[in-house]
Amino acid sequence: MTLRRAATILLLLMPGLGLILALIGAVVYIAVAQSFGLYSLMGESAFSLAFWSDTMGKKAFDKAVRYSIYVGVLSAIFSVILAYPLAIWLRKPFAGSVTIGAVLKAPLLVHGLVAAFLYINIISYNGLLNQVMQGLGIWDGPKRLQNDRNAIGVLILQTWKNMPFALLLLTGAVQAISDDVLDAARDLGAGSWARFRKVIAPLTVSGLQAAMVIIFIGALADFSFQTIAGPTNRQSLAQLMVNFKGRGDWHSAAVVGVSMMAIALIGSALLAVAARMIMRGRLK
Amino acid sequence: MIKHLLTTAAAVVAVTAPLQAQDLSAMSWDQIVEQAKAEGELTWYVWYLQDDLRRAVQAFEDEYGIEVTIPEGGDAGGNANKLLAERERETGDIDVFAWGYNDFETVDLDALFMPLTHLPEDDGRVSELTGIDGGDHVLAYWGNQTGVAYDPAHVSADDLPQTPEEFAAFWAENPGKFGFNYEKGGSGPSYYLNMLRVLSDGVDFFDGESNDEKLAGLQPGIDFFNAHADNYVVTASNADSILRVSDGELWMVPAWEDHLAGLQNRGEVRSDIAFYIPEMGMNGGGNGVAIPLNAPNPAAASVFIHWLTSPETQTMFNRTFGTAPMNAASDDSFALVPNAQREFRTPWAAQPFRGEVEQRFVDDVILER
Repeated sequence: MTLRRAATILLLLMPGLGLILALIGAVVYIAVAQSFGLYSLMGESAFSLAFWSDTMGKKAFDKAVRYSIYVGVLSAIFSVILAYPLAIWLRKPFAGSVTIGAVLKAPLLVHGLVAAFLYINIISYNGLLNQVMQGLGIWDGPKRLQNDRNAIGVLILQTWKNMPFALLLLTGAVQAISDDVLDAARDLGAGSWARFRKVIAPLTVSGLQAAMVIIFIGALADFSFQTIAGPTNRQSLAQLMVNFKGRGDWHSAAVVGVSMMAIALIGSALLAVAARMIMRGRLK
Repeated sequence: MIKHLLTTAAAVVAVTAPLQAQDLSAMSWDQIVEQAKAEGELTWYVWYLQDDLRRAVQAFEDEYGIEVTIPEGGDAGGNANKLLAERERETGDIDVFAWGYNDFETVDLDALFMPLTHLPEDDGRVSELTGIDGGDHVLAYWGNQTGVAYDPAHVSADDLPQTPEEFAAFWAENPGKFGFNYEKGGSGPSYYLNMLRVLSDGVDFFDGESNDEKLAGLQPGIDFFNAHADNYVVTASNADSILRVSDGELWMVPAWEDHLAGLQNRGEVRSDIAFYIPEMGMNGGGNGVAIPLNAPNPAAASVFIHWLTSPETQTMFNRTFGTAPMNAASDDSFALVPNAQREFRTPWAAQPFRGEVEQRFVDDVILER
């Protein structure tokens, strides 16, 4: 490649690269620098490893890391598990399939905060669910379902919100598989499960990876669902970061923020690799 | 066209620069009011009840003809970030900055705010609140008090818990009916900090110094909460606590007096929910206002603060919002608690010790549940 050609390519890439480097890069740089004591907003700036050692030594940080990974991984898995059969069902158009698809994607248009408050209203002590269950005689009295200890509420909200996104990606991937390929598999004696495992899964693994990675990153960094519907005995990383910031401890908040970015990056790579290995049948 | 624009810009600079450069302390109050009217507007960054406060400041707008803009949204942290981010700008966007009184303790007042010594003298105003001295730079305008909200349908006013032991007895007799938040609002933290203060005999919560020995002294209080962990509920926020009492799920929760009064005035929670300050003490506090050094309309801001902290406005705030008046000459007869209970008001634990206690409580009580 000549220098002139390299320069041309670089220039053509500049609008995209510029945006990434100037905007995202600057934010990442500031966060990393602040985690090492630089760019202090309310004190003296000086390089220090103390914020990393202090923050990583806290029990709250350790629990927040494990809790956020738990929510991120399970949200991604539940979303794609629900989306796959729907994507396959909607692969071939049928009467009403467009309407069904639109209804399934409706959660994309509802803001997460609205969904969280609606959910709380439904499961609250005297909410709809409690009233229905008591009305049906299934429960003797109201049950406390809000802010459950295992974050089932958060997982329901994350799955509800992210499943349509996974469906969007997987529908495109599944529809790209030609009928000939599936017919050939059927002719060779493959049943529904075998066709999914040996044909559909390997051919849609890229869509699956994209869906899992994006959902994982979003759920890992969740703040709104967690603070409204999440367990009160656990903190997510985003919640912990906001707590530090609220106390004016920007450097510790930056440590949590940078950790969140690193976990998102490493976790995404691991999830993508695991998804590829599982879907291509290398892990039984 | 360019010439026209340049001429206009030059005129704007010529008119506004002297105003900003003018030292208010060298002017009489009448001159300041005159300049305030010439400025004609101000922006008040306040982090809560923006709609209600817009209605409240109409009286000021009518009296002085100065338009008050309260920006939409924005929480305390966001407004503080903006204040800090634009501190180096020659002229900022904020004329009057409202903040939790104890939050002012976290910044250098001299470096961010102008002195308010040019305001007319008024001995009734409050610049020192719950141990925080706003000095010449900050004045309190919103007094609030934490206490315990309860459902009179289930809890008798004659039998209200007053001490940690009595609260534990209530928890044991009524498991799952007492709740408090540890974040998203200060009422829960006020409750558990004061419980810890009473239970941790000999630990000085009002001295901000923090060390391992002092933190170790909290252990009896930490053990107390853990021993009774099954009997109380941790709620998600101040608002969540109050809503769950109003809904009948919980019978007692820590709350802010003004928050509860505001929700009751707007019909958002039951009006029969009652409130008291336990004898063990709970924290009182409030919000203060200050004028950033780079305020675009400093005279208008000064006149506004003078109005905001006046006895008349403070009486109106007490009537409308249920706040504790921040002017000694005000009428506080609309408060949710009788004046006699105000003696149980305690200052917040001093920083940085308070932050360490809160972190310890989260680590050793909340995350251990």
